[in-house]
Amino acid sequence: MLYQIFVDPFAQMVSMPDFLIQVIWEGFVAGILYALIALGFVLIFKASGVFNFAQGIMVVFAGLTLVGLHEAGVPAFLALILAIGVMALLAIAVERFVMRPLVNQPEIILLMSTIGMTYFLIGFGEFVFGGEPKQMITEELGLPTGSSAFEIGEQGLVILQHIDIAAAVIAIIMVASLALFFNKTRIGRALRAVADDHQAAQSVGISLNQIWAIVWFAAGIVALATGIMWGARSDVSFALEIVALKALPVLILGGFTSIPGAIVGGLIIGIGEKIGEIYWGPLVGGGIESWLAYMIALVFLLFRPQGLFGERIIERV
Amino acid sequence: MNRAVDPRDLAMDGDGLAKGEVLLEVKNVSLRFGGVKAITDISFDIRKGEIRAIIGPNGAGKTSMLNVINGFYTPQEGTITFRGEERKKIAPYQAAASGIARTFQNVALFKGMTTLDNIMAGRTLAMHRNFLWQLLYFGPALNEEIANRRKVEEIIDFLEIQHIRKVPVGRLPYGLQKRVELGRALAAQPSLLLLDEPMAGMNLEEKEDMSRFILDVNSQFGTTIALIEHDMGVVMDISDRVVVLDYGRKIGDGTPDEVKANQDVIDAYLGVSHQDEGEG
Amino acid sequence: MFYREAGQFKTTYAADQQVFPILQDRIGVAVILFIAIAVVPFVANDFFMSAIAIPFLILALATIGLNVLTGYAGQLSLGTGGFMGVGAYACYKLATIFPDVPIVAHILLSGIFAAAAGVVFGLPSLRIKGLYLAVTTLAAQFFFEWCFIRIPWLYNYNASGAIEVPGLTLLGVTVTGPAAGSIPRYYVVLAIVILLTVLVKNLLRGRIGRQWMMIRDMDIAAELMGVRPLYAKLSAFAVSSYLCGVAGAMFVFFYLGAAEPSAFSITLSFQVLFMAILGGLGSLVGCFFGAAFIWILPILLRAGPPMIGIPIAAETATHVTSMIIGALIVAFLILEPHGLARLWQIGKEKLRVWPFPYA
Ligand SMILES: Nc1ncnc2c1ncn2[C@@H]1O[C@H](COP(=O)(O)OP(=O)(O)OP(=O)(O)O)[C@@H](O)[C@H]1O
Ligand SMILES: [Mg+2]
Repeated sequence: MLYQIFVDPFAQMVSMPDFLIQVIWEGFVAGILYALIALGFVLIFKASGVFNFAQGIMVVFAGLTLVGLHEAGVPAFLALILAIGVMALLAIAVERFVMRPLVNQPEIILLMSTIGMTYFLIGFGEFVFGGEPKQMITEELGLPTGSSAFEIGEQGLVILQHIDIAAAVIAIIMVASLALFFNKTRIGRALRAVADDHQAAQSVGISLNQIWAIVWFAAGIVALATGIMWGARSDVSFALEIVALKALPVLILGGFTSIPGAIVGGLIIGIGEKIGEIYWGPLVGGGIESWLAYMIALVFLLFRPQGLFGERIIERV
Repeated sequence: MNRAVDPRDLAMDGDGLAKGEVLLEVKNVSLRFGGVKAITDISFDIRKGEIRAIIGPNGAGKTSMLNVINGFYTPQEGTITFRGEERKKIAPYQAAASGIARTFQNVALFKGMTTLDNIMAGRTLAMHRNFLWQLLYFGPALNEEIANRRKVEEIIDFLEIQHIRKVPVGRLPYGLQKRVELGRALAAQPSLLLLDEPMAGMNLEEKEDMSRFILDVNSQFGTTIALIEHDMGVVMDISDRVVVLDYGRKIGDGTPDEVKANQDVIDAYLGVSHQDEGEG
Repeated sequence: MFYREAGQFKTTYAADQQVFPILQDRIGVAVILFIAIAVVPFVANDFFMSAIAIPFLILALATIGLNVLTGYAGQLSLGTGGFMGVGAYACYKLATIFPDVPIVAHILLSGIFAAAAGVVFGLPSLRIKGLYLAVTTLAAQFFFEWCFIRIPWLYNYNASGAIEVPGLTLLGVTVTGPAAGSIPRYYVVLAIVILLTVLVKNLLRGRIGRQWMMIRDMDIAAELMGVRPLYAKLSAFAVSSYLCGVAGAMFVFFYLGAAEPSAFSITLSFQVLFMAILGGLGSLVGCFFGAAFIWILPILLRAGPPMIGIPIAAETATHVTSMIIGALIVAFLILEPHGLARLWQIGKEKLRVWPFPYA
């Protein structure tokens, strides 16, 4: 038993390095998608302290809107632009009808309100688009399909899906542009100021309400990108909503306010759970992917409650 | 239910000390938060039965000092001796069990609970009936609840807050909240009561009421009090001895008159724009 | 006019500490109990008993369980479904291993297993708070769901992967399994729910309940008043999970009859959470209001429109329910965070001064 737990998996890793690399790559790509969802969380949490449980459903909703519009005969790129518009409308609606009335409420109330929003969006999305999974319009959007194989060592083989590579590239572009946005633009700096001090933001001449609408919109765009990438790998379906909850352990690792944290946390969770599933999962019957991420986060919390990048805060009275 | 309060009923449990003996001794305490030195090498004592004021400009380290005394912060250096027992690290609930109660600078009441329940909460340590009795709410558990309720009603009478007994404290005006918080601390029948700016944000009349309550608690129940307050008039009036902090250091210690004459203290207060409201 | 407390003076603290200090309230509760015990079973049809009354009572109990943890002790949980599942599977195993012990004993015992599970997953609450805790309860949820699927011993190696309730009798009457009538099942459920509700109420109005609320409202101050966070939080987890576990066991034994692991999925966790929020966090009657509302709304939406001549597809009804509930959750959080229970109280206060608009 001990042998099976502590020796066997590592022996396997060493004996089949190409397979290990493949596993890590798969985990890496999954991790990027978790990181993208987490990024949406972080954007909103940083600017408004709201823990947006609805980020996962926003991903599904954005993806469905895009596909649904295309099905209705709208050309792919127009559908993309319209989907962005829908996310903007959603952001404005959320700000106006949920965030503004709930300003200054305890965080647990805000969290529960986003759970309510999640249910509303699930019902609304299914009402409009139907409950069945839909195929993402990958090719129509000009995203690459197909795959390349790389030889490793004597007879090893690693296969990379092009769409996964594209996902990685898009994620990098996304993070880079967000970083630029936060550091170089007036609105971006105001957003950062809000996180620290609401008054400072007002002195930049932007109202808090506008800022919230903007961050929700930014999170909506991130959601759309996530929806496209994820949809291209599997389907666009409401089942994604549950998978998206894995962004929570990611945030615990990375800290709720750190963009690099979201990325690193996403990769750790993505790779960690794939390796765990492939090498240790069979020992207990498999399928541990469904909870491993949460357990990693739970154990991590016990030792470093403030996250990888967070600072320890001593409470005051 | 109006009844005169019998002081013997609410007096703290005997701590075996005579008036004037050292109840609490702070020895060479230093406390840092990362780079911020909140307290640097402070020593002073509090004697049984006195009202000991702790004063100083905003950020001087007064609240931090109280937090060290009741175990909420653990100082990097130094020790606290309370009722003859020396300690370096103590959990807040242990400090409470050893007879220290307090109020907070920014009212820290249990907002969702009524005045009555808040003050009952102060009696947490006086209640012991186990889970099974609690499930039944009968026999010993009920008797215990009623006995403690009686004590709480005495405090309610003493503080003249009968009319708000069943009101959730979140709905009370600030001044009354402060009073309820005092009641909650008194309910623990502490031998040392720590008050962090009990009069901050009050109008003159409310301040007078509060001063009266503090003096009454001290004289009727024999409770030793450590008091942080920004209003110099009040401090000089009601305290027996004063310790003055500035930038985390002790710059003065003595009777109100001695402190008033201390040049360091005068400088510290002139150099700082002094706020009456506290908060900070 | 008739709902008045005027003239009802409390002369002892014991009288003042009653659950229902006002006479009219006591009469009201007696009437409700009377209706529940002596009227409902005789006038309601089988559909009402099996599909509405029984699940409503069971879910109300689960909601009380969640409310203890979230509404009273302030620790958010998204793992209710998982803890209910632990109770259900524990009860199933107990009934398999000790078939001769009365089923009620198994039901009440099974909660203890759920309580133990709750304590284990509650341990992190000592170091972490609020949103972070939600993640550890999610860990519990997904971990237990996985156990129910991957550990065949739990479902007695049934080929279907589901647990099927055997026909068990109590005092000679069949109360579980396909042969059990709705009335005996109803009575067992009602008795357990009333019993546990009374016990929980007792906890809540005494020292332990107060400590939970202290932790919820201001944990630092609570600790400085002598509350030990370890005991307060873990006891809340234990009691909460116990109630959820019992509710889960009853859910399978008296309502579903057979259950697949998906019966205890995160959907159930959310359903119970919504019952607690809509009913009113921190209110016991609210649990009953919330459970009734959320359980009955979809049934009404499915059956209502066709009755008045509007055809509605079952799916559409589900989607609309989901939208309505989501919107109501947000609306209640904004307008009345204390939920239906608070509306009920306001209604009573209005009644107290009726026919005058103000007291
Ligand atoms: N939990 C904490 N984390 C970091 N720094 C802290 C913490 N608590 C206090 N400080 C710092 O320690 C110093 C002393 O603070 P403290 O609250 O004790 O002052 P004070 O004398 O009570 O002031 P005031 O009159 O404004 O209440 C301040 O510089 C404060 O910023
Ligand atoms: Mg202070």
